[in-house]
Amino acid sequence: MHVSHSLLTWVAAILTIGIFSFLWKDNPFYKFCEHLFVGVSIGYGIAVTWYNGVYPDLVTPLFRQGKPLYIIPLVLGLCYFCRFIPRVSWLIRFPMAFTIGWGMGVAIPANFQTSIVKQIQGTLLTPAIFARWDVLLWAIISFVGVICTVFYFFFSREHKGALRLASQTGVVYLMVGFGASFGYTVMARMSLLIGRLQFILRDWLGVIK
Amino acid sequence: MKRNVPLAICLGFGIVMMVQFFVPHPISVGFYDLTTKWVRIVSAFALVLGVGSFLMYHTEKLRRRRTGWLYSIVALVAAAVSTVVGLAWGVKQTSPLQNYIFTPLLVPLNASMFAILAFYMASAAYRAFRARTKESALLLIAAFIVMLGMVPLGAAIWHRLPDLAEWILSVPNMAAKRAITFGVALGGIATALKVILGIERGWLGGGKQ
Amino acid sequence: MKFFQYLLKIDRRIIYIVMGLLVTLPLVKPLGLGVTSGPRAARLFQAVDSIPAGKTLLISVDFDPASMPELYPMLTAVMRHAFAKNLKVLLCGLWPTGMGLAIKAATDIPPEYGKKYGEDVVYLGYKPGVDAVILGMGENIKNVYPYDYSGRSLDSLPMMRDVQRLRDIPMIVALSAGTPGYSDWLAYAQSRYGMKVGTGLTAVSAADAYPFLQSGQLTGLLAGMKGAAEYEVLVQKSNYSKAYMPAVAAMDSQSLAHVVIMILVIIGNIAYFVTRKRRS
Repeated sequence: MHVSHSLLTWVAAILTIGIFSFLWKDNPFYKFCEHLFVGVSIGYGIAVTWYNGVYPDLVTPLFRQGKPLYIIPLVLGLCYFCRFIPRVSWLIRFPMAFTIGWGMGVAIPANFQTSIVKQIQGTLLTPAIFARWDVLLWAIISFVGVICTVFYFFFSREHKGALRLASQTGVVYLMVGFGASFGYTVMARMSLLIGRLQFILRDWLGVIK
Repeated sequence: MKRNVPLAICLGFGIVMMVQFFVPHPISVGFYDLTTKWVRIVSAFALVLGVGSFLMYHTEKLRRRRTGWLYSIVALVAAAVSTVVGLAWGVKQTSPLQNYIFTPLLVPLNASMFAILAFYMASAAYRAFRARTKESALLLIAAFIVMLGMVPLGAAIWHRLPDLAEWILSVPNMAAKRAITFGVALGGIATALKVILGIERGWLGGGKQ
Repeated sequence: MKFFQYLLKIDRRIIYIVMGLLVTLPLVKPLGLGVTSGPRAARLFQAVDSIPAGKTLLISVDFDPASMPELYPMLTAVMRHAFAKNLKVLLCGLWPTGMGLAIKAATDIPPEYGKKYGEDVVYLGYKPGVDAVILGMGENIKNVYPYDYSGRSLDSLPMMRDVQRLRDIPMIVALSAGTPGYSDWLAYAQSRYGMKVGTGLTAVSAADAYPFLQSGQLTGLLAGMKGAAEYEVLVQKSNYSKAYMPAVAAMDSQSLAHVVIMILVIIGNIAYFVTRKRRS
């Protein structure tokens, strides 16, 4: 056992215990850590956004390189501050209109291609799947699954007859999918705990190598 | 002016950016390049909204001496100190922001906050994960197979278990998630079109103006 | 009967203590179960392995310290693999709080292979405006990132002479803890610029990525800490690294943690059904 001599490691360990103390019950130490986390995150975000965003993208081209066109995004950006001045708070709509309109316009064709076109292509039963019996079988099972699950989300008609059968089959696929997601969620949450335990046992207490 | 101009900006940029996706003409590319820079700058200013809300919430709590106002001091001081340190020394590897704020404070607080979810998940699984119906039993079985198959212990129990887990993920899970992806993408595109065309106006905020 | 009723009302803190102890135990006394790699990790490994020496691999650090145990070992393993194959590594990020982690990796890993900052590795930093950042990089990286994370001009960094736009990069590995992340690289970098995208995800979002893997949009997928462990094993088996493997070291504990959850669910169900039967 080689307990760390680093003050910073001790601070990190104490804060870890502070957050973990909430498991017992809510307490002032946890609340202190929680508020410290919020404050530090905000400060870090401001510094990073300034040095990696505003300064190189706006301050340098506008004020150091003298590119006047950059006044437009500056004015639009400053409109965000109007949110806190009731009389002119409506001015915030201008930067929002620009970013939302631009973002939506860009996203529609990109998402259509990524999540619709390519996904339909992936679902189609192509000649390549006939190469092996197992590939063919899994492709058919997948194809049926996609169609039936889509039918489950089809609410324009009452689920009766063939539609009922399809939607019930879709439920089976959905349950297996949610089960898989749950299994992976367990894995994710446990990994985060193990990561903290590794820090405590290795970096702080030196119990493990 | 207060509503129609932002709606027109949103419509204009939405349509232009959609069309631009399919037009590789130099003028189109030049416009796209310029507006891409502007969007990045304006997006950086959006941080103002988050920081403004944070400051208003905590200063108000402090002013009215609401329960837990002392913790608001912790949050405000932490934000102020990390902002000042970040802006004064920058974000370089040698900066105190990285060495005295990010590593010993932000990392353990953020990581521990998520690590405690493992305990809540264990407790919730124990209390609420019941195989009451055939569907929930199916979910449970799929979850167990994925949980065991994805870790080394699963392979030690039965060497084909990882393959079975991988099959669940690649075939029925994939089919269900693909159908959900279709739904999400179509819903997203429909909403985006409604925003661009001014049918969905929630982003303009409340009020008659 | 009373025993089962007691089980149903057991204090949550007892569950916490039992779970905490059982997860800690294998970290101190490993079970030695060993890790084998699966097809998804092998696909990503092969894709990185097949990039010609001297080319650049882009790694997007789209996570924060909350997901560090799952994604940071992936970052270090992929970087080690790239350096061992004499690839150059370009790091960028869409999450502000991922910056410190990317800086740490860009500082710690290159010296293991005698690589230098600016010549073999560059960290561009964080940039707000997800879609605008990726699309801008597709046209000209220096337009989006005129400087690296610390304010050095990209023109002064030798590695960036050959890398002008996304098309100069054979592959992107997006290490994502959510949104923004791999889905944005697929939507913008792949759909518009035809980029090859591989990914490493937190396990919680991995199941949702399978449709993109099956359709061939994703070239390989690492899922959670297990995915990181698989990649670490592949890198070490190929003699690319002899470094400590944190994800592999955690796998025994991960195995036991899953068993604990399964036992808890089984006990909870038995107690529930026994008491329900008696009640009815």
